[in-house]
Amino acid sequence: MAGKASSSQTSVGGLGSGAVSHVFIHYPPLRCNIPGSRGFYYDDGNKLLISPTSDQVFSWKTVPFSPNAAPNIDSITEGPICSIRFSLDEKLIAVQRSNTSIDFLHRETGEVFTHRCKSESESILGFFWTDCPSCDIVVVKISGLDLFAYDHASKSLALVETKKMNVSWYVYTHESRLVLLASGMQCKSFHGFQLSSAGIIRLPKFEMVMAKPEANSKPVLASEDVYIVTVYGRIYCLQVDRVAMVLHSYRFYRDAIIQQGSLPIYSSKVAVSVVDNVLLVHQVDAKVVILYDIFSDSRAPISAPLPVLLRGFSRSDSFTSRPSTKESESLQASDSNDNESIVYGDGWTFLAISASSSEIPSVLEFLQRRKLEANKAKQLCLAIMQTMILECRPITMVAKAMDVLVTSYAHSLKTGTYFKGIKTERTPSSVSNVSGSGQVIDVNTGRTDGLGKSLQRESAPRVNSVSASDTEDSSSLEPSKISSNDTQFDGGKVDIGAESCTTGNPLNASVSDQQESQLTSPAISPDEMYKFVFAPIEEEMIGEPSYLVAIILELFRSANLEKVKVHPNLFVLTIQLLARSEQYAELGLFVINKIIEPSKEVALQLLESGRQNFQIRKLGSDMMRQLSLHQDYVLLLVQDGYYLEALRYARKHKVTTIRPSLFLEAAFTSNDSQHLAAVLRFFSDFIPGFRSTSDFFTYYHILNEMNSSSVVA
Amino acid sequence: MLEYSFSKPNSSRSPSLVTEDLRSFISKIYTVYSTNSASFMGLSSIGTASDGMQLCIFDLRRGQHEGQELDKILYFFPADLPFSTQLSVIGLSEGLITFTRIFSPEAACEVIEAERHSHVFYEAEPDIWMVMIVEKSKDSEAIWRIDALREVLKEIHSLFVMFHGSIRALLEREPGGGLTRAHLYPFIMDYLRACQKRSPLDKCCCGNAEVAVSDGLIWIYFLVGKKLQLPSFRDCLMERRSVQMLTVGREAAIEVQTLVRILESSAGNLPCFSLILFQDLLVSTTLSPEDTINLYKYAVLRLTPLALSSGAKSWSYLRKGNSSSHVSIGSTLLSTGSVSEQFYGSHDASPAGDNRYHVTRPLQHDKWFKGKDGFLITDIWGGDIGSLNVTTPTVWLHQTEERMYLCAYQYKSLTIILLIPLSSILNGDQGVSILKQQLLENASLKILKVEEKLSKGWGGENAYHVSGYRYLLVDGNRDISRASPPTKVTTLSKESLLALNRLREEVDAEKSRAKWDNPGREKDLEVCIRAKNNAWAVARITGGKELYMVLEKANETLLYASDAVEKFSNRYCSGTFSLD
Repeated sequence: MAGKASSSQTSVGGLGSGAVSHVFIHYPPLRCNIPGSRGFYYDDGNKLLISPTSDQVFSWKTVPFSPNAAPNIDSITEGPICSIRFSLDEKLIAVQRSNTSIDFLHRETGEVFTHRCKSESESILGFFWTDCPSCDIVVVKISGLDLFAYDHASKSLALVETKKMNVSWYVYTHESRLVLLASGMQCKSFHGFQLSSAGIIRLPKFEMVMAKPEANSKPVLASEDVYIVTVYGRIYCLQVDRVAMVLHSYRFYRDAIIQQGSLPIYSSKVAVSVVDNVLLVHQVDAKVVILYDIFSDSRAPISAPLPVLLRGFSRSDSFTSRPSTKESESLQASDSNDNESIVYGDGWTFLAISASSSEIPSVLEFLQRRKLEANKAKQLCLAIMQTMILECRPITMVAKAMDVLVTSYAHSLKTGTYFKGIKTERTPSSVSNVSGSGQVIDVNTGRTDGLGKSLQRESAPRVNSVSASDTEDSSSLEPSKISSNDTQFDGGKVDIGAESCTTGNPLNASVSDQQESQLTSPAISPDEMYKFVFAPIEEEMIGEPSYLVAIILELFRSANLEKVKVHPNLFVLTIQLLARSEQYAELGLFVINKIIEPSKEVALQLLESGRQNFQIRKLGSDMMRQLSLHQDYVLLLVQDGYYLEALRYARKHKVTTIRPSLFLEAAFTSNDSQHLAAVLRFFSDFIPGFRSTSDFFTYYHILNEMNSSSVVA
Repeated sequence: MLEYSFSKPNSSRSPSLVTEDLRSFISKIYTVYSTNSASFMGLSSIGTASDGMQLCIFDLRRGQHEGQELDKILYFFPADLPFSTQLSVIGLSEGLITFTRIFSPEAACEVIEAERHSHVFYEAEPDIWMVMIVEKSKDSEAIWRIDALREVLKEIHSLFVMFHGSIRALLEREPGGGLTRAHLYPFIMDYLRACQKRSPLDKCCCGNAEVAVSDGLIWIYFLVGKKLQLPSFRDCLMERRSVQMLTVGREAAIEVQTLVRILESSAGNLPCFSLILFQDLLVSTTLSPEDTINLYKYAVLRLTPLALSSGAKSWSYLRKGNSSSHVSIGSTLLSTGSVSEQFYGSHDASPAGDNRYHVTRPLQHDKWFKGKDGFLITDIWGGDIGSLNVTTPTVWLHQTEERMYLCAYQYKSLTIILLIPLSSILNGDQGVSILKQQLLENASLKILKVEEKLSKGWGGENAYHVSGYRYLLVDGNRDISRASPPTKVTTLSKESLLALNRLREEVDAEKSRAKWDNPGREKDLEVCIRAKNNAWAVARITGGKELYMVLEKANETLLYASDAVEKFSNRYCSGTFSLD
């Protein structure tokens, strides 16, 4: 099987005309030919794809993913394999051989030692490595948890702690560091531990909700019906209730587990995964995937269901080639279940979906929460913002959108994600995508939304012809236009984001893309807001100065609330806009109330705009003085003919850099011999050696002439 | 009650009977008055009627032929003076104007100081002059600044223009002059009444009456309180033709400005203007300075919560606590002889009947109410307040030279005035009410928020008091002023106030001299004088901004006083007045 497992192209009805959501898989897949492979395991602690044979272990790094990467090969002793996991430092390979023993292989030295249960009655359900400070590996047994530390010197495990309880089965994900231990008749009572680098947290015991099909039957909860998911850093547990046909969700807090409500399911077989903080509920029987954004309170899907085409795979022992994954956190660990493994090939991006939604502020909110393809989300946000303004959408709506972006930026500043991304992003290629003065915007979401998806069920053996990539694939790459409400972003110049995820390039191909993809946050700084939203549209908005001012004000308001500085050019732009529409009263208020923050640029612009309005010019010169820009202020006074005031000010603030001839010239042009004499005297008194300069002689001469002529007159 | 309007005579009587009664009543009073009036002629007799102020408006282009002299009189207060006296006053003024124009064609005389009177001139419109004559009485309170008096004239005129358009335009509309007089008379009476000082005894309804005939009705004013406030030396720490602003922080300012934008956007694409006040202080304006001053004045006079709640404090705290010099106008009665009737109004028909001129009286007292929806309503412009079916007020804007609808909305301490061009609303009052609806829908949340923000930051009436200082700060560039609260100014001794008054006169003279010598140039100026009581009166002027200050506890030395000013300047004026 090469290439596509499923491909579909759907028009998302009702959300906007022409909105298309695509699902396709990354191509080419990882190809490998491992004779004697015993199947695949995914080690979520190290994000490794593992395929053991009878005496070897092949492992591929999935992050970063490269389809051509050669696997690492380690030799192990022969024997049955229940599960296999690399230690977190990848020095050891632990192989569970049976329900009583685990083998440990030291990769460098090849040494092997075996850990066995103390009593024969105990049965090992599984194990996982942990970065908990007190221990290195946790073994889950039907009688509870054994926490061991690995002793490098003696190359053996030392028991650190035992937690006794009955365990029917367990689920663990490395991302959440959370292990849930099921017990009871119906397996619906849970103990939970979080074993993180911060220590061990014991969660209170809790029960999951199970509907009863009829009076006396009691359904038993299976481990495959419970999923631990991490969304926006919060840990949830999702539980499938096959009787009620709902998916219950629980959120974990340090001291409580709180049920969060339920999502409907439409298939008795459901799988759950998370990509980029979006919850994907795969309704296997219904052959659709429904997407939820749990962050928002609404329990409504963020998009219409996306169809899934299922194709069975042969579980070939000798030859396996399968699409692999780029995003490993979405993979459900398959190691606890040796019969059936579900692997999602993905590469979801949700840009297209979100762009088709009509509620713009919530779209921006959604986009701002994207972590994958952060750059594309960012570019899209900028484009949406720009288009909103160009289309003169209601101020309140733009204000809300502005709030979303600024709040998100402030948040990313607090958490540090913004600068993390920006360090690698400081390349010209990453910011030059939005070309200036774009008239209309075309967002080529068709390219950016490579949604690769494949759902494989190994338990359904079926020979699948090795098919080359479908022709549908190319059609799915038709650029689609995003639209909001009834207005199309039609035609246009501004390309959002670099194109990627074309069929030829499973990963972001270009160098600039690589850098952009390192952006960890789509947050938009006020500088970028100015550069990519306001500066390009400034020219076009000339006809609507007061609307643009209103929008800028909203930006000021949100920025002020979040204590974020805005780009100083915005202040200058505001002055220009207000002056252009002759709203001098407002401009005065803006300056006096410091809505426009004082700066040299602002002062200069006020002076410039003040050519038409004396009061505004005054504000500019006052600002100069208040900013202690002494030299500029003195020059300004001289230019305006207030040379005596300028001299006094220059003396007070020790401005010595201005040529005396400027003052003398000003005094001369005012045609007042007394003043000229005063200025001359001033320099003679305060500048040593002034009497011997040519300036002195020139103006002394002029003064004499003025006096004599006035006497004659 | 201060005012009676006999709009509907008692039904049992015929209209003419009422007129008869009134006439006999008035003539009786008039007799009393004339026996008291002094018998001097000419200048010296001018003040006798009111032993105080006279105010006249005349048009130099009218009545230039013998026998038509009366034509030039557009307004005269007190109106009960015989025409011969009125004409002699106006004739003198006219003569002075003509004479001084020989030397200064651009600007004729500004003031004439006679032995017992000051004549203050103001050319409101080309060839339309306003002259105020005040008596220099022995009363020690009757000391004023000429410029402050002229400001009163300017204020009367600019407010009049805001509501009725220019006097010239009115004269052109009806060359007979009746229309103009019918507008001017009630307007200025309302204005003067607003200036009138009220005493607790006002309630008793006896004494003298003023009768005006306009709008086809007879208005009788009982001016009982008798005290007409004119700006005196005690008001030297205030600037009449300026706006007092609320100081707001950046955050609140942004909120206010976003509100302004929402207000404007709720009017759709119509060009509109807004004015926002908090208490009696201006928060935001999108109007030109000139229009801002006028509307602000009107708002403070009639619209703000304070103005609405207590008519008695109609000038609000801007004037509260000041005991200004006053001119008794108690005995000023309108002699409603037949000539006068025809002159000042149109009383040729029955008093309650024929509306030859429909005159609105925007300055009328107690005529504004807050409606249930928060909008302020009045029946001044017509309609019936009971049925809420009132005509929307209109004003004329200096900046756009256009007539605008005036919508005022009030929420707690916040008063919002929205002005929309008449031309842009097609279906009149109906269109306005739709607009009001839109405004409520779009902006009410924001208004709530802004009011809350401003209330939080509001320091109360004494917010701008700086202890140890009594000051007046005027930004002439923007027509904004700020001063010590009036209650604090009253603690100053009379000597200090007189000294500052004197100082301001000096500065006024200096400024007007500089204006002629060097137009467009601003002069920096610093004057300190020592009063008899050892207080310092300081004036500093720089870059069009003025600071006046009285320091009563400024110790012995000038250095100390100068330091105090410097400190104040650095602390409260961002160093504007720090000279060295």
